[in-house]
Amino acid sequence: MDLMEYRAQALFDRYGIPCNVGRVIGSLEELEGLRDSLAYPAVIKAQVKTGGRGKAGGVRFAENYEEAVAATRAILGMNIKGHIVRKLMISEKRSVTREFYLSVMLDRGTKCPVFIFSPEGGMDIEMLAKEQPEKIFRAVVDPRIGAQGYTANYFASKAGLTKPQTKQLAALLRALYRLFIEKNCLLCEINPLAINDEGGLIALDGKVSVDDSALVRLPDIAAAEAEEPVDPLVKEAADFNFLYIPCEPSGDIAVVSNGSGMIMSCIDHIAKYGMTVRASLDLGGGATADRIREAVRIILADPAIRYLFINIFGGITRCSEVALGIKGAIEEYGIASPIIVRFEGTNKEIALETIKPLKNVIYADGLISGVKALCDMKTGGDLK
Amino acid sequence: MSILVDENTRLIIQGITGREGTFHCEQMQQYGTKVVAGVTPGKGGETVLGVPVFNTVREAMEQTDANTSVLFVPALYTADGVYEALEAGLPTVITIAEHVPVHDMMGVYHMARAKGARVIGPNSFGVISPGKSKAGFMAHRIFRPGKVGLMSRSATNCYETVFMMSNAGIGQSTCVGVGGDMIPGSTFRDLLPLFEADDETKAIVMIGEIGGSEEELAAEYIGSHVTKPVVALIAGKNAPKGKSMGHAGAIVAADGTGSAENKEKALRAAGVHIAETTGGIVEILKSLDL
Repeated sequence: MDLMEYRAQALFDRYGIPCNVGRVIGSLEELEGLRDSLAYPAVIKAQVKTGGRGKAGGVRFAENYEEAVAATRAILGMNIKGHIVRKLMISEKRSVTREFYLSVMLDRGTKCPVFIFSPEGGMDIEMLAKEQPEKIFRAVVDPRIGAQGYTANYFASKAGLTKPQTKQLAALLRALYRLFIEKNCLLCEINPLAINDEGGLIALDGKVSVDDSALVRLPDIAAAEAEEPVDPLVKEAADFNFLYIPCEPSGDIAVVSNGSGMIMSCIDHIAKYGMTVRASLDLGGGATADRIREAVRIILADPAIRYLFINIFGGITRCSEVALGIKGAIEEYGIASPIIVRFEGTNKEIALETIKPLKNVIYADGLISGVKALCDMKTGGDLK
Repeated sequence: MSILVDENTRLIIQGITGREGTFHCEQMQQYGTKVVAGVTPGKGGETVLGVPVFNTVREAMEQTDANTSVLFVPALYTADGVYEALEAGLPTVITIAEHVPVHDMMGVYHMARAKGARVIGPNSFGVISPGKSKAGFMAHRIFRPGKVGLMSRSATNCYETVFMMSNAGIGQSTCVGVGGDMIPGSTFRDLLPLFEADDETKAIVMIGEIGGSEEELAAEYIGSHVTKPVVALIAGKNAPKGKSMGHAGAIVAADGTGSAENKEKALRAAGVHIAETTGGIVEILKSLDL
């Protein structure tokens, strides 16, 4: 889970990393409340969990309060790649002489943390990796020893840092590494890491991504995250312990299955036939009829979804429970959308008896036949 | 032969007194797995389905001839349980739970290597050598003994493939649930030498998916070390970019690292047969004339 920039900055601050902590506002009234305490020039940044906000106009500067108001008005409510801006961070614009890139992340190849540094900061690291890979320096960390001074010396040498700056970088690497480990992070990124007018290092922007599986251990982060707005369908599905993933907004098909791998395979097969999946819902293992009834309701709550494909390979999940759940959804919620169902495994025969009388349910014997049935239905006319 | 588990497997179930542990103990016994001990702290001295329960893995090891452990233990206790099993000297430890923190697995991965032991999982259905033994929760009815070794990041894609293989008369030597997490205890690359060395295995099926670089690392090894035919499927080609698809490990980075295209390209270059669908795997296996 990616944290908002202001939460990342707050973590940097708590771990002793010099940074540009700002004030967070969600309305013009809140800006008004800060009127006498703001320093100019100020930088006003949209708080959204996506990159490219600068290009989208989500970062603006202000020389005085009037300009800050104008910037706030322009940015609040802005839609950046599907993310609505509800919060802004306003901080003093720092003048800097140089900008670097620094991060520590999980390296999936070596299964170790890796520090990544570039003397070319401020730009998108993926872009830099593509265009100037020779300007990116990596240092894999042995998790038994953690961050050491020699790594700072290596990066400092690539960037031509002074001795005091190198010492400061070494402390910063240790602090960033401690944050990475203690908060179970997948990524802690400072971009740019800058040198200010006094020659000191300062983190001007940051990104922290935390392992979802570790959130139960991180009550402070979990509590903060719970305040962030989420897609209501994702939230409702999560309350039933289902995973709802919005896919392509242009699609009109939904997929329900009992495992992540199978969801991916269904999406792949459907794409092969030139169709597009709008959303998927993973039941996980062992879902019961009453929960499945809710899953069908949730996945069909989005009116843009016109077709539903339910593909079950039952091991722990019993096909009979899924069938009862579908029947329940149709009867209780009056669902009329066409539902293509494929069953295999535990209690398949019982399940087939249950769905037989259901008019809008079409049975397909196999994954491919299911996708073909979907294709026939789409080309042969709309039932909805 | 077969790999990791077979008729000589003498299994410890960590978490045997839990609901899942007890249920799958019975399933495994019915399949023919020799379950020699269970471990649940504080429940030493009890028996579950005729299996003696010990407080610690160490005591279970002192009093039985166990050589493998499977954990039916909640995610947050998984690393502790695996460390205990490794410290007690078990060479093979299989772990099932989903949502094990990745930092925990970083520790487990490196300790297993230091001990020269093998950890399978987490987020895995376990390991089955059809007709011999199973350690895990897979629906064993669909498996048939045979010559194809299979390893998969996804349980459901593995079931789908095995179901079609078995219906087509193609059996399996061993099926390993590598698991869907960012750091698996054993990677495709770690398991390839075992299948290559196994007399019973005549072909290898690898069911990968988007995210990470395990398929690329496997391709590197296959190119220079594997003589048996390898068939691979990469799931998630059309998954939305930048979203983790339920499996924590199944996510494509913004720079394209972990994409199905990169993986298929590397595997093709290593001479691996690429299947587009689970059914395609079976078609390729048929054409190999094993």
